[in-house]
Amino acid sequence: MRVSYNWLKEYVDIRLAPEKLAELLTMSGLTVESLQPLGADHIFEIEVTSNRPDWLSVIGIAREVAAICGSRLKLPAIVPVRSQDAKGGARIIVDDRKLCPRYTGRVIRNVKIGESPHWLKAKLEAMGLRPVNNAVDITNFCLFETGEPMHVFDLDKVAGGTIIVRRAKKGEKIFTIDGVERALDDPALVIADREKPIAIAGVMGGADTEVTASTKNILLEAAYFDPVSVRRTSRKLGISTESSYRFERKVDLDSIASSSDRATALIAELCGGAAGELFDVGEKARPEKTAHLRYERLNSLLGLHIEPPKAAAILRSLGLETKGSSRDAITAKIPSFRYDLDAETDLIEEISRIYGYDRIPQTIPVVVEQPIRVPSSIVIGDKIRDILAGFGLDEIMTYSLLGRRSLEAAGVGTGDAVEIKNPLSNEQEVMRQTLIPGMLNAVRWNINRKNKDLKLFELGKVYIKRHDGGFNEHISLSIGLAGQASAGWLEGARQESFFDVKGIAESLLAELGISDVSFRPAQSPFLSAGAAASLESEGKTIGILGQVKASVLSEFDIKEKVYVLELSADELFSRARLEKTFSEIPRYPSVVRDISLIADAAAHNEDLLSAVRAAGSPLLKEAQLIDRYIGSQIPDGKVSLTYRIEYQDPTRTLEDKDITPVHARILQELERRFGAKLR
Amino acid sequence: MKELIQRLEQEALREIRAAAGGEMLEAARTKYLGRKGLLTEAFKKIGEASAEERPALGSLINEVKGRLGAALDERTRAASGGEEKAEKIDITLPGAPFRRGRIHPITKTVRDISDCFVSLGFMVVEGPEIETEHYNFEALNIPLEHPSRDAFDTFYLNSRSGTQLLRSHTSPVQARFMEKHKPPFAIIVPGRVFRPDATDATHSFMFHQVEGLVVGDRVTFADLKGVLAIFARQMFGVQTRMRFRPSFFPFTEPSAEVDISCFACARQKHLEGRRCSICGGKGWLEILGAGMVNPKVFKGVGYDPEKVTGFAFGMGVERIAMLKYGISDIRLFCENDIRFLRQF
Repeated sequence: MRVSYNWLKEYVDIRLAPEKLAELLTMSGLTVESLQPLGADHIFEIEVTSNRPDWLSVIGIAREVAAICGSRLKLPAIVPVRSQDAKGGARIIVDDRKLCPRYTGRVIRNVKIGESPHWLKAKLEAMGLRPVNNAVDITNFCLFETGEPMHVFDLDKVAGGTIIVRRAKKGEKIFTIDGVERALDDPALVIADREKPIAIAGVMGGADTEVTASTKNILLEAAYFDPVSVRRTSRKLGISTESSYRFERKVDLDSIASSSDRATALIAELCGGAAGELFDVGEKARPEKTAHLRYERLNSLLGLHIEPPKAAAILRSLGLETKGSSRDAITAKIPSFRYDLDAETDLIEEISRIYGYDRIPQTIPVVVEQPIRVPSSIVIGDKIRDILAGFGLDEIMTYSLLGRRSLEAAGVGTGDAVEIKNPLSNEQEVMRQTLIPGMLNAVRWNINRKNKDLKLFELGKVYIKRHDGGFNEHISLSIGLAGQASAGWLEGARQESFFDVKGIAESLLAELGISDVSFRPAQSPFLSAGAAASLESEGKTIGILGQVKASVLSEFDIKEKVYVLELSADELFSRARLEKTFSEIPRYPSVVRDISLIADAAAHNEDLLSAVRAAGSPLLKEAQLIDRYIGSQIPDGKVSLTYRIEYQDPTRTLEDKDITPVHARILQELERRFGAKLR
Repeated sequence: MKELIQRLEQEALREIRAAAGGEMLEAARTKYLGRKGLLTEAFKKIGEASAEERPALGSLINEVKGRLGAALDERTRAASGGEEKAEKIDITLPGAPFRRGRIHPITKTVRDISDCFVSLGFMVVEGPEIETEHYNFEALNIPLEHPSRDAFDTFYLNSRSGTQLLRSHTSPVQARFMEKHKPPFAIIVPGRVFRPDATDATHSFMFHQVEGLVVGDRVTFADLKGVLAIFARQMFGVQTRMRFRPSFFPFTEPSAEVDISCFACARQKHLEGRRCSICGGKGWLEILGAGMVNPKVFKGVGYDPEKVTGFAFGMGVERIAMLKYGISDIRLFCENDIRFLRQF
């Protein structure tokens, strides 16, 4: 809402510089967004919250200024119009009383339409409006002054001289004053004549009945239109006007007649003519409202002490009439323009606002004992982030919404994707059911900008449409690797590989205390057939990892190898064991023996290792692969594997004679089951 | 025999002192202490001495061995120091790389905010992003088709089971939590929210909020001010001042918009008439909305507004991160350019 400082001063004594006034307004709830000089005037741009339609007028703001500054309000005198032409000559029929509870119209004959005087044009220009002609300018002036939008029709162009307030009929159209033909349909409320709609009620007038230089007789409309109906129509047609903006927020029904009088007086003054009687159809006034305030409640909610007389004075300064008043409480009559006031809290807000939020002290509430302060999903989620960052991965964050194209490019399809009904762009059609497309988009973004050697992860929600039509939200973890795994002059460079992403997974799981996991060959729509694994835990697949398929990479326009992982973070949260228990450090040293084998290249390390572990039990403490070699030193189709085996007995120091038979048994077992030979 | 050994020791010590480097010291060690060294040879000759002399000679030889060993060790240590100087390395070569990855600035900011409130006794609570109209609007006293909904443009979902939407703020969690818990409590709710806003440098269709709610039998507006003052100072520095401007939110009354004093203005005293680029010269930065919980919200969840009062507040995480780190474009958060991510 724009307000001119000079205009405001016509209605209230202001002894403050515009800057100081701006600050006071801001601190009482009328946030001044900007203050600009305009000639000898100043223009305030004020943000008006949706609960205060009364602030959408100069008088409304003047009333607030009077309350803040304790100065007197000087409203323009409104003299009821003396009808000079009782015949009137128009009919008003309100078909839909629900959408139009009050409609007034007044005929003014023999007006002279022309340019407005300078003072009027200057006021409208200060408000950012283009002057049109005296009659139209007067309605706009009154809209800003009183907050009541009004409209003038060229009565001679209103078919049958009859105004019908009704809903639009299917297929009806109207040329609005902005020169656009608009299709109307049922719920829209229109002002019609005998033949057709001549205005969209509360939104915009029609071009056919527009008041022009040749207009002789006019009909002045002032009405109350249903806020929801105006809002719907304005949204549907995509037109928001000064008028619709005010009707949507409720205009003061009780003061419609006086606003009409004000406009009529100005028309008589500037356009001449003879005004007729006011046709006033519908509700004349809303029932009187009162609200009750207990002083104790006021002070206990705010945490301060305001003296009752002070509180009552603030209410009166805002135009509330204080009625019953006792030592403990007060009853206030709510003025008709304050639709937002109903209950005790509303009065408390008014008092605190004018009293000043800055005068409310600062205290600390009594803290409540809440044993669990942070849910485990957040604790473990943060732990996962810290672990992965510790491994050198950067955290990314991608949009929960994406285009169908991204999901299809990743080969996952959109069958179980949650669909957005009203996306703004084709990048927001569905919700992600996997973090992989977002990860690949992030990889592409970086590679296209020559950012090399990517180690990325994301922890975020995915959304799945269930068979029953409901939706699930899960937390998922993704990792993406591309480029070099390690670089630097000390060791030389090495490219990322399947085993880097697997290593990260293994270490992460170990850090989280999750031990019962295994990797199985797997299939995935976005992973290469030969380099894809699933992560199994307690008989459940909790994740997938591997090298991204060439076809998927080309869909994402990525020319490097990319390794990804996606894991159900919810499964990690439920399996993580972060509490530690100490176990005794062995008293007796362990003995380490290596075993080097030649085995079939097709043999799976995991199978060999479990055979080693089984055969070495119970002395075997740990066994791990420390070297793997395929090449000229060994026959084709064979692989050389070296396992390091650690033996230990918690009760004594092991000797050669204890280990040799176990070691031999392991070898025998590997030979028997896998045909592996000692190298 | 005894004299022989003593002479041997003197000679050896002279030789050790005169040795020019590690090699000569090693030669001396071999000459005297080696397996065929002079002292070892001397030891073998103890048998030639009389039975009474033997023990004394034995211990003498051992003492000499000890003294020579120590002297050799000491000189070797000194000499090797000199040798390292000779094999000088280029210490300006870079160290082995140990790059830690970075946590996303939004995660960091959510953590900073959460940590502050958790330290004040708040509990962290989460809620679903896919919501119903009831929790997103009605339970929060935001009526259908009311201009107060303008601030909450919403993504709707194609759904077979009632109207489902993406929450446009974290406030629905207030109602969800209150339905299941009894006061007193103090919670904060971090989370992702969605609004179909056209994307530009300061708007995104997806962003993050942190919501706070404290309910008890005598929670006051003054408490709200006190708690937020602690937060503002912890988040933006001890110099931070705060101001509460009356505002309107359907779910709180009285409501306030909260500004903090611009930390950038305070920092750059050299502005000299130029406008501060962070606050636009206003001196204040809007960082959150707050207020006393509207009794209608309490009634909706079955609380008696006569028995409990409470306050709520909510802030945009992106906005706070942008202010804190001086980030000028909200889109950077989801582009995931590592040149951006690695700055945090």
